[in-house]
Amino acid sequence: MATIGCKDFPDYLEPWMEGDRHPDALAHLRDCPRCRSLVEDLKMIQTTAQEWGRTESEPPAHLWNSLRVQLVQEGLIHQQSKRRGWLPSLPRPALAGAYLAAVIAVAFGLSGPVNQRINRARWLEGTQNSTTPLRAQFASAEMNATTLSVPDSNPTVTASLHNNLAIVDNYIVLCEKSVNEEPENELARDYLFEAYQQKADLLAQLSERGGSGR
Amino acid sequence: MPEVEAIRLAQQGDAAAFERLYQLHNRRVYSLCLRMVGNTAEAEDLTQEAFLQLFRKISTFRGESAFSTWLHRLSVNVVLMRLRKKSAAETSLEEVTEPDEESGGPRRDFGAPDLRLTGSIDRLNLQRAVEQLPPGYKSVFVLHDVQGYEHNEIAEIMGCSIGNSKSQLHKARMRLRELLHEALRDKAREERKAAGGSLGAED
Repeated sequence: MATIGCKDFPDYLEPWMEGDRHPDALAHLRDCPRCRSLVEDLKMIQTTAQEWGRTESEPPAHLWNSLRVQLVQEGLIHQQSKRRGWLPSLPRPALAGAYLAAVIAVAFGLSGPVNQRINRARWLEGTQNSTTPLRAQFASAEMNATTLSVPDSNPTVTASLHNNLAIVDNYIVLCEKSVNEEPENELARDYLFEAYQQKADLLAQLSERGGSGR
Repeated sequence: MPEVEAIRLAQQGDAAAFERLYQLHNRRVYSLCLRMVGNTAEAEDLTQEAFLQLFRKISTFRGESAFSTWLHRLSVNVVLMRLRKKSAAETSLEEVTEPDEESGGPRRDFGAPDLRLTGSIDRLNLQRAVEQLPPGYKSVFVLHDVQGYEHNEIAEIMGCSIGNSKSQLHKARMRLRELLHEALRDKAREERKAAGGSLGAED
């Protein structure tokens, strides 16, 4: 026989749903379809909620882009970080290969890749007054490369490399300005990255010439 | 890139690592936000805010807790902050109760005994009902029954007692039952009306 009535059952309901099966509540539920229905409903709600929790929604793709823009604006991320230390870690064969390619290119008057990129980037017009953290890294590398450079057997090649370096520097300044103005512009960032790569190549070649000249 | 490595690199500001962490966790964070606010535009905004806060604070992450736990707590807090701003009075856990008009105690209305929810509610119905809950009820219900948080975790996140969390959850479930019953009654009424209309048209 039930020892509690419907009026008292709510006092037992919350613990019941938490797993506390009080004998009085159990006895009442056996005899009361109304309270049994209530418990079944609450269990149903619980079960449906758990099923809902197992499904996940995909956020729209643009969300990462707008988040990235904000991260860049706040200076929390740097696009080139994964390439940090890339120049010094280049293996000697890679440096030699890059050097050989540059010599061939210069010898045939094909300093084109840089110039082509500059042509591609004509849309990037404006003042040349911008800085990025990467500039500091490159400045250091550049200092090493130029101080290591010693007179070699082909001063024309060295002069061409320096000339190309100046052109790339100019290009970098334009790209940086563009990226600062439009941080969300993928193309501008790609151009800037390519420019830094180009500069890294040139510095590596200059460095190699200095090293080999000793 | 494994998560541990992504965390380490993100702490150094590596963009690719940030993106990796975002890709690993964006679905769960977005889903949580969507469940809590029931609005895609706001859920997107909150997801962005949660990740922004994460990346601002990532250098302080020392790995004492699981990264996902840390992120999800942070996300819950972002959502709760938003809900509090939207309706400070409603969101207060102590204040969000729906007292019985006569006794001042909790409602003891069990709903109509002739209506059974079993077999008649699905996720969509439940979602609609959850959206109608007061923010305090909604938060505890979503965190406990949907997201699977324990009462002690909810108490910690929401700054309330465990007993309070249990009590809010119970009230939320009871209110949901009422809302679902109301929806069932509305549906039944519409069906009767539609049936009457079609009978009238046949005459």
